[in-house]
Amino acid sequence: MNDHHDMNCQEARERIPSYLDGELSETAAAPLRRHLMDCQPCRASAQSDKNLKRWFVEPKAMAVPRDFSARVARRAFAGDTGERFSPPSLVPAGAGAAPSLVAVADARTKAPASRSDERHLRFVLLLTAAAALVLLMLSLSIRSLAVPGGTELKADSRHTMTADEALQHLDQLNGPAANTTPAHGSTPASGAEGTTSGTPAKTPAAPGKKP
Amino acid sequence: MEPQPADDTCLVQETLAGNQASFQLLVERYQSRLFALVRHYTRNPVEVEDVVQETFLKAYHRLDSFQHQSSFYTWIYRIAVNTVLDFQKKRGRSPVQSVEDPELLPNSSQPSGSRIVSPDARMEREEIAKITHEVLESMPEIFRTVLVMREFEDMAYQDIADVLGISIGTVESRLFRARARFKEKLLQRHPEFGEQ
Repeated sequence: MNDHHDMNCQEARERIPSYLDGELSETAAAPLRRHLMDCQPCRASAQSDKNLKRWFVEPKAMAVPRDFSARVARRAFAGDTGERFSPPSLVPAGAGAAPSLVAVADARTKAPASRSDERHLRFVLLLTAAAALVLLMLSLSIRSLAVPGGTELKADSRHTMTADEALQHLDQLNGPAANTTPAHGSTPASGAEGTTSGTPAKTPAAPGKKP
Repeated sequence: MEPQPADDTCLVQETLAGNQASFQLLVERYQSRLFALVRHYTRNPVEVEDVVQETFLKAYHRLDSFQHQSSFYTWIYRIAVNTVLDFQKKRGRSPVQSVEDPELLPNSSQPSGSRIVSPDARMEREEIAKITHEVLESMPEIFRTVLVMREFEDMAYQDIADVLGISIGTVESRLFRARARFKEKLLQRHPEFGEQ
């Protein structure tokens, strides 16, 4: 290692970058300059550091959108906090950070997002949940009404009815007009109708009774 | 006689008083520099715009915490750097996630005898910028950030120290290592730029 004047090569090379960056005081720069005058290897090192700097060239400037500043100022004053890259959350994270699903979705669309939008979204979500609950309760209550209760429709009670008894029962249900009808083939439909939409209370008693 | 443009302090105070136009002026004043800064981290124009926009929005909402101890630009620059790093982390793009601590590299990775030449005079500016960007992208964030600040932003060591919250000595040593790493990566990719 060479020792020129009051600085050796290691010290010199450590200071070269700061020297080239203009960060050395004159007191520190003067001995380095003297060293470089006398030391060819350190001069080569300094030249290499200079070469390195030439690699840092700015790419072509990117155009700023014309209305950028106006848009940003508008959004800032509308309450947009700019927490774009936070994970979406429906739960408010606190007063300082107001990230939102709205804001995250909005990052692409550039639609205005604000705290009022967020409140609106929460209100709509709450309303939807309430509507879903009401619909669920309604469907459960309809189902309980539609299912027949009691023993009137038990299959085994029907087995006790003979075919003749059933026909008689149907005639009885259809009334006097039906009795005049000679063909029984047309009655099942109306009889069936009568069984389902007629008066169910009478049905269980019918099989056992004679007209 | 033309009216003097309002200084940053005035604009900040007017913004805090509710003047939207003043904030718009602040944005106009620094938008180009922040676009250029963020572009060193992502080349996607939509992402650049998003990050710069987020930076200004955050700045607006924290404006009352701006103490005027540093310049407005240093203050907003710090927000921009944090925003872009946060953005990269969330996109899973940060090469900083290496297991090594770049500050504790062994001596072998400190400046070696390897020297590089200047970019060829026939190379287009964009071509040089592209190579440099690729090399920077492959470097740990801790090094990339100081190189961007020093080499592109031409920031003084003290300003870099203020933004990153580190000492001047740390800036100096980090830059030293960052340059060594840059040389190493450049020569790995393009041995033709090594000194014969």
